[in-house]
Amino acid sequence: MASGAAPSSFRLNSVDRQGRQIDPAVHAAAETVFPRALEYGTNLLGDTAVVANTLEEVAATVSQLIARRDPPGEPAPIRNLPGYVFRAFVREVKRLKNKELATLDAAIAGQTLAQRLADPSRQLEMEVLVAECLALFDFVERDMCWRRLEGFTWDEIGPVHGLSGHAAEVRFRNAVRAVKEKLALSRKPLPSAGETAQNEGPKPAMGADDDKRKT
Amino acid sequence: MRGRNQQWGPMTTKEKPEFNDEFNEAEFLGFAKSYLSEAFPNPQRIGCPPDSDLQRMADQPVEARDAVVSKHLTCCSPCFNRYMEILASLKRRRAAGQ
Repeated sequence: MASGAAPSSFRLNSVDRQGRQIDPAVHAAAETVFPRALEYGTNLLGDTAVVANTLEEVAATVSQLIARRDPPGEPAPIRNLPGYVFRAFVREVKRLKNKELATLDAAIAGQTLAQRLADPSRQLEMEVLVAECLALFDFVERDMCWRRLEGFTWDEIGPVHGLSGHAAEVRFRNAVRAVKEKLALSRKPLPSAGETAQNEGPKPAMGADDDKRKT
Repeated sequence: MRGRNQQWGPMTTKEKPEFNDEFNEAEFLGFAKSYLSEAFPNPQRIGCPPDSDLQRMADQPVEARDAVVSKHLTCCSPCFNRYMEILASLKRRRAAGQ
């Protein structure tokens, strides 16, 4: 377990980051599950301090929940408080993780767009690839592409076309690879410096003049 | 104690190899989406299918029926954007239904 994690160095506070009080019973429950939470949370969030903060926030939320649901005279609604706190913690960690991945995806998309605008040659290269893919893909591969663009997982995409998620992913990757190979075959290597000096004027990048010369 | 920062490494460094080296799906899809969403304005909405056709293809694509619609999305940004909205809605509905 997390014996080596030294939870004593990360004692839980009785108040979370937002200044919300943690009920003593909930605090004790959180302390009970702290070693497990530390091990689980560190794997996903990567920082023990973040894990401790998260557990404190979860404990404060559970405290508020108990305060709302457990007015004097009513029986306690939660039988296994440590287990409840831990499950709430796991949910919160997963939510944070998904949020982080979504932010990362958005950053990647933004970076790609910025890159596209900043580098004309790369923009052209990607435009050619995308256009060729969409022109040469068959119906199924194009539909996979549409769904993938909207963030569908391969396990969601595969069954739409009677495939497993893995088979769908392999088919899509192979389709892109085939297009890239086709493009690579049709692309001529850039001329060397000496060859360039012998040329009388600039030529189109796609080698249209070469075709004319042959005819 | 595990190396926490090292564990984060693979998750946060979706680096972009050169286009010619390896297929980077995130880059390809990111570019394709931004490109298709604005490269073909089609203000006259020439050849656009009705919304119901897009909805039907999102729910259950059938090649014999939807091939023309699917092809149209490759050259019409308004329809492409609408189809992305429909797929996003479908994804949300399926997530809520689970």
